[in-house]
Amino acid sequence: APVMAETWDMPMAYSASNFHSATGAEFAKCVTTGTGGELEIVTHPSGSLFKGADIKRAIQTGQAPIGERLLSGHQNENALFGFDSIPFLATSFDDSAKLWKAAKPSLEKVLSEQNLTLLYAVPWPPQGLYFKNEVTSVAEMKGIKFRSYNNATSRLAELTGMLPVTIEAAEISQAFATGVAESMVSSGSTGYDRKVWESLDYFYEVDAWLPRNYVMVNSEVWADTAEAHKNVITGCAELAEYAGNWRAKEYTGFTLQGLRDGGMTVGPASDQMVGELKEIGVTMTNEWLEAAGDEGKAIVDAFKAMQ
Amino acid sequence: MDYVFLVLIFLAVLFLLLGSGVWVGIAMMGVSWVALELFSNSSTIGQDMVSQIWSASKSWELAALPMFIWMGEILFRTRLSEDMFKGLSPWMARLPGGLVHANIVGCTVFAAVSGSSAATLTTVGKMSIPELRKRNYPETMTIGTLAGAATLGLMIPPSLTLIVYGVTIDGVSIIKLFFAGIVPGLVLASMFMAYVAIYSKVSKSWNPDQETGMTFMEKLKNSRFLIPVILLVVMVIGSMYLGFATPTEAAALGVVGAWVLAIAQGSLNWQTFRDSTIGAVRTSAMIALILAGSAFLKFAMAKTGLPKELAEMIASWEFSRFALLMVLLVFYIILGCFLDGISTVVLTMAVLEPVVRTAGIDLIWFGIFIVVVVEMAQITPPIGFNLFVMQGMTGHEMGYIARAAIPMFLIMVLMVFVLIAFPELATWLPDNLRQR
Amino acid sequence: MGVLRSLRVGLDFLYRLAEFIAALCMIAILALIMLQMLARWSSEVFPGAPEYAAYFMAAASFMGFAAALNRGSHIRVSLLLNAVGPKMKRYVDIWCFAVASATMWYFVWHARQFVYWSWKFNDVSQAQDRTALWIPQSVMIIGGALLAIALTDSLINLIFKGENRISHDNIETQEV
Ligand code: NA
Ligand code: NA
Repeated sequence: APVMAETWDMPMAYSASNFHSATGAEFAKCVTTGTGGELEIVTHPSGSLFKGADIKRAIQTGQAPIGERLLSGHQNENALFGFDSIPFLATSFDDSAKLWKAAKPSLEKVLSEQNLTLLYAVPWPPQGLYFKNEVTSVAEMKGIKFRSYNNATSRLAELTGMLPVTIEAAEISQAFATGVAESMVSSGSTGYDRKVWESLDYFYEVDAWLPRNYVMVNSEVWADTAEAHKNVITGCAELAEYAGNWRAKEYTGFTLQGLRDGGMTVGPASDQMVGELKEIGVTMTNEWLEAAGDEGKAIVDAFKAMQ
Repeated sequence: MDYVFLVLIFLAVLFLLLGSGVWVGIAMMGVSWVALELFSNSSTIGQDMVSQIWSASKSWELAALPMFIWMGEILFRTRLSEDMFKGLSPWMARLPGGLVHANIVGCTVFAAVSGSSAATLTTVGKMSIPELRKRNYPETMTIGTLAGAATLGLMIPPSLTLIVYGVTIDGVSIIKLFFAGIVPGLVLASMFMAYVAIYSKVSKSWNPDQETGMTFMEKLKNSRFLIPVILLVVMVIGSMYLGFATPTEAAALGVVGAWVLAIAQGSLNWQTFRDSTIGAVRTSAMIALILAGSAFLKFAMAKTGLPKELAEMIASWEFSRFALLMVLLVFYIILGCFLDGISTVVLTMAVLEPVVRTAGIDLIWFGIFIVVVVEMAQITPPIGFNLFVMQGMTGHEMGYIARAAIPMFLIMVLMVFVLIAFPELATWLPDNLRQR
Repeated sequence: MGVLRSLRVGLDFLYRLAEFIAALCMIAILALIMLQMLARWSSEVFPGAPEYAAYFMAAASFMGFAAALNRGSHIRVSLLLNAVGPKMKRYVDIWCFAVASATMWYFVWHARQFVYWSWKFNDVSQAQDRTALWIPQSVMIIGGALLAIALTDSLINLIFKGENRISHDNIETQEV
């Protein structure tokens, strides 16, 4: 039996069967096994310990030693957290990886100021546009009720002429079924998990952006962790990041097929629409740069240099 | 960790605090504190308490609850509910069971308006309890049927529990779950009504006032009293299904609609406005304190890992399908005595979902199974939400209310077996209604 | 006695004022939900409405706690209290008020810390309202403290005067 067994509770926001949660569970197992049970990580999926929105703060204050959070949810606090959610800046897994490489040093710095140490990050499948009816150009989007959940998605609606409606996560399915909302931007996996084909008919793979979930540990806890354990954790984190990336790619194809099987029309947007959306992307990138200042500019410049 | 010790301490503290009369919400906080202090590695218990309570109090979904309570208060204080019973009683008085059926029908109809059982209970109870008392119906029947039937709010769509279940389990459609809940909800309501009819024939204490005889035309004329409330219900449900409002917004429409009716009827004055608002504030505050306690309790349970450990134990045994369902039934009934339904779903489904899948159980059907069990949790002591709300409304002892609700609990157990015998009750509608 | 009297009057005024504010919060929730819906119907946008409604929801609850206690609206299991004689009942009640006061003061103490951190971390709402969270969270300290004060108030009354300040009328018959 281990002598000084320690347990880390790891809050996660998404359901146990989501691929992020599966990756997290394997990471936890890897650490537990790797330290010979001296450090056990216990995952709590589905927001059963802390809700998604509360996880970052919980790690900061030491209520949870470790946890996973979609950092772009915190852009109101610091625009830099939104670097992975700028529409049409990085639109493929490869580009997303480059953007992540460009942003990592700045992001780690911001996090360390908040008492957070980054372990690994895994992207979501690319964000596409869901519609009830066929849409071939931005002009046709005018007046469509678009589900927005933060400032960036509201701005996207505004620039495309859509009407942003705020629908809380719990009410999404009903909102689409009854027509309170008619469109949203999200990954294929969210649409697949929520079976949106019951209400929506079109999914356009515009690959708008690939947001990431970040696994972070409280910096004080990290500093107090034995060197040997740190090595195990870092190794497991690398493995998890690699496996998570692979899963995200696999899952993209799988969920898009799932949407098709559900009866949705899935495909790329028309050339015209892609062109118009790219222009909106430029506008939004510039707006983000204004908010994120020099650090933001350095990230985007570094990213563009890698192209 | 020694779970037997944990359970014993937990039960001892819970019964000490609740039993001595500490206010329920605060007793739940105290129990959670003790559980965390003794059985978790948390060094931030105070912060955990505050963050969980803040997160539970600041909730948009929760906002529908005070709105429905407010609507009930307005209906009650402006004689709209009295009128409704004037319209209903001539029709129902002659049925075996009489106006007690109004309790069940009222809850069934209101269940289609609201997704929570507390809202259903307060709104219908506010209207029906005084009227049934006036007519000398046995109090245990009035209270028992109301506590039981109000739980239909969780089964008949919209349903907060089904939303949580659908979000917790990927690949289960919330809309299909909603369709799945309709028929079992109606079946359960009919079972409650059948019980009332039988009881009224058998019981010696059944002796309500008889309505004076009315001709058919008189009855029809009296039915005009029903129109306002029917209009209100149709407006609220209609606004949701025609895409004008989300469920929370529909609740707000209900308040405005009740005001409009009261103005039209000439019964809204400063006094009724003030009384209904203050009444709603007090009832919501009462419920909010219990919700605060239960949010902290849920956290404590997640942190100690007890429900998860139990679920893992069940997962490790190899059961046949039926045996698994029986074990789960017992498991959830026991958990339901101490935790609210939604918490049990969130805390255990991650572990049990694969077990249920492997056993070849349809996950839509299982959602309805879970809802019936969660409904039972609302009326089982010591922590049963409907018992608390009912106590707030009637002033009766909790034990008295729990006893009155026992028949409803047994009917729900029976409902589980009906669901097992006829799974199509839950699966037929979602499979056939929305095929595209 | 003058000081005690005015303290009594002041506290009672405070409980009622909080309840009045809670009622205003209820009206605000209703107004916000209705405005959001009307905005959508007329193709307008009301950013952050659900968040504001949620803050008012928390405020309505916390500001209502103390008055709900004094009116006997909060639920307790009174099995034991009804079974014992008046003298014993007083001791049991003292125990209940003592436990509840301690719990609520514990809550208030940590709520103060919680809100201080929100302010220090610059914790802002993640939705469109961008509210600095310490503002709505402060209501939690005020409401929690009022409940703690009301409980302590009752505890002291029970110990020194032997009278229970909480009226046991239920909601049906309550005079407002
Ligand atoms: Na319902
Ligand atoms: Na219960």
